[in-house]
Amino acid sequence: MPLELYYFLSITAVNILLSWALYLPYRVAHLHFITVANMAISGYAAAWLVMALHVPFGCALLVGFALGGIIGFVVSLFIGDAPTFAVVIVGFTFIFISRTVIENLKAIGGAMGMFGLPNIGGNPDTHRLIIMVTLAALLLIVGFLLHRFEHSSLGRAASAVFMDKDLAASLGVDIRRLGMLLQTVSCTIAGGTGVLYGFIYKSLHLDFFTFALVGIAMTIIFVGGYATQWGAVVLAPILYGVPLLFPPAVQEWRIVIYGAALVLVLVLKPEGFITRRFVVSMESFLSGTRKKRNTLSREEI
Amino acid sequence: MKKALGALIVAALILAVVGCQQPAPKEWDIPFLNSLTGQIASIGAYLEWGADQAAKEINAAGGISGKPVKIIPVDTALDPQKGSTEMARLVKNTLVALGPVPEPVIMAAMPIAVENGMPSITATTSLEYAQKFFPWTISWFPSTQDRLAPLVTAWAKQFSDLKKVVQFVENYGPWPGMADAHTAGLTAAGVRVLDPVEVPSDAVTFAPLVVKALNEKPDGFVFVCKPGSAAKLIKELKSRGWKKMDHLLLFSSADAPDLYATGGTDLNGAEIYNYINPGIDNPRWDGFKKAYADSHNGEQPPSLSTNYYDAVYMIKDAIEKTGVTGLSGKLKAERKLIADYLQNVKGFHGIMFDWDMKDGIPTNKPTYIFKIQDGQKVLVQEVKQ
Repeated sequence: MPLELYYFLSITAVNILLSWALYLPYRVAHLHFITVANMAISGYAAAWLVMALHVPFGCALLVGFALGGIIGFVVSLFIGDAPTFAVVIVGFTFIFISRTVIENLKAIGGAMGMFGLPNIGGNPDTHRLIIMVTLAALLLIVGFLLHRFEHSSLGRAASAVFMDKDLAASLGVDIRRLGMLLQTVSCTIAGGTGVLYGFIYKSLHLDFFTFALVGIAMTIIFVGGYATQWGAVVLAPILYGVPLLFPPAVQEWRIVIYGAALVLVLVLKPEGFITRRFVVSMESFLSGTRKKRNTLSREEI
Repeated sequence: MKKALGALIVAALILAVVGCQQPAPKEWDIPFLNSLTGQIASIGAYLEWGADQAAKEINAAGGISGKPVKIIPVDTALDPQKGSTEMARLVKNTLVALGPVPEPVIMAAMPIAVENGMPSITATTSLEYAQKFFPWTISWFPSTQDRLAPLVTAWAKQFSDLKKVVQFVENYGPWPGMADAHTAGLTAAGVRVLDPVEVPSDAVTFAPLVVKALNEKPDGFVFVCKPGSAAKLIKELKSRGWKKMDHLLLFSSADAPDLYATGGTDLNGAEIYNYINPGIDNPRWDGFKKAYADSHNGEQPPSLSTNYYDAVYMIKDAIEKTGVTGLSGKLKAERKLIADYLQNVKGFHGIMFDWDMKDGIPTNKPTYIFKIQDGQKVLVQEVKQ
């Protein structure tokens, strides 16, 4: 695989996973930016385990997932049913706290960062293969789980909470437990994604996990479509890939082009490109085709 | 008939040989991975200007090995994601590159250059970052400790009443390491270093930081933070009655237009150290200053503006002195030739002074302490390692 394609695909996959990690709690109206802090914490922890303690990458990745999940769970005990604004504030605060802690830990490079993360499997080709396969598997698993979630009673409960918390509560939805579940799963995804992000670059620097990353994920979700998981899948490669094709003269205007596109989308299509209605109509189209086939086969019988 | 057939075969062979030869490049394209948009776009702009200025001069003098050189700007937008993908694209065919800028992009992109054996000169970062990617880059600066400790000792020894100092430190990349080197230099001068005051990267108000620092009752301050923050801290100090302006020392990264624009005349009398001396008098440097002033409303060249200017000349030397051809079939070998040459350059004629490289590290670059007066720097002393 050409090197630039590897970087394009792997970073796009990371952006999709991060966007999904933000999308999931947003189903109950929680903008949970703690995910970015979790990426950093798990990324640094896994890198330290691999480099200092020579823990195999697979184990370090699992620790990254677990660490993300644990932090997400502990925090969710306090903000599982908090209003959107409170969750945003907690997320921002957590990013600042984690940055300060990491900056002051010499064992993980402090403000300078961590260099020379090893090739998984011993050589660059195997490393890239393992990263790509892991990311692809993670995308499939998380994508499948999100799809199942959307079509489950939990997904419907989340939609009710998003629309009106009081109404959802009157319908018997346990808002706090639902919020805790989504926040914990979201942080678990972010933790593992952070580990993979560090190993793509083979180095870690705190500025890999800034508010710019939050901005990327937010743009992906809100322009792609915040009401379904498919918005991120469609927009992540476009947002990251298209600017790479711009000629140098246009590159300078990239931010202006982004801004104009964002304004246009917000004005013309505030719910984003991929809407729930679009997904439902696609699903009915596909299921309609399937029904026809079933009907035909029954007639044949 | 036989003769004609023989001639045909010879002609076919010649054509085959000629056809198989890869044409030499018509110009030397040097990509420059730089942050041309985003938070440090203003710095990226003058780094780019310096590299372009060198290319312009070189081309006017006949180019590199008789061929023109062109700097290709590659914007990484201070984004590790973009930086790594751009570097992955470049390592396929590029002989040698400039950048990346700054540290987060260096850390994301340089491992790709190293893995693919492509030299890329990171001329704005400290040795502590650059040396992780040796021999595929070089350091523009000696080790922070070797360079800064004697410099700060020299600054402190100017004042017999300087007994206690507080440092304002922003936790960014190499800056805490620079603050550590200052501490070593101050201690060597017999100055007590009090608890540092951390400057948050996104600080909006500076009064609490200044109050905290003044409570330690220091005789002087060293500023290791962004130019705008340093200027605001100094303004705040002055507003609280600080008089000994020469007992304030700003580190080199603060020497940027933002400092002077924000600080104005409140900076008068404060001292600042740097690696270039605008007061040096030689035709090349005079030409550089004039060209910069002409295209920047009369401004002086900022501190890092000559780094990539010199880097382009260093690449020129490397290509010409190692006989690099630029043929794509020789890419791997010629990249190695350039990398090896850059590691141990002897007597390089920089725009302001000559220097040597030993194993990728400059050995004899001077540093300077200046006094700030109405937005201009007046030389106080030159400090040699």
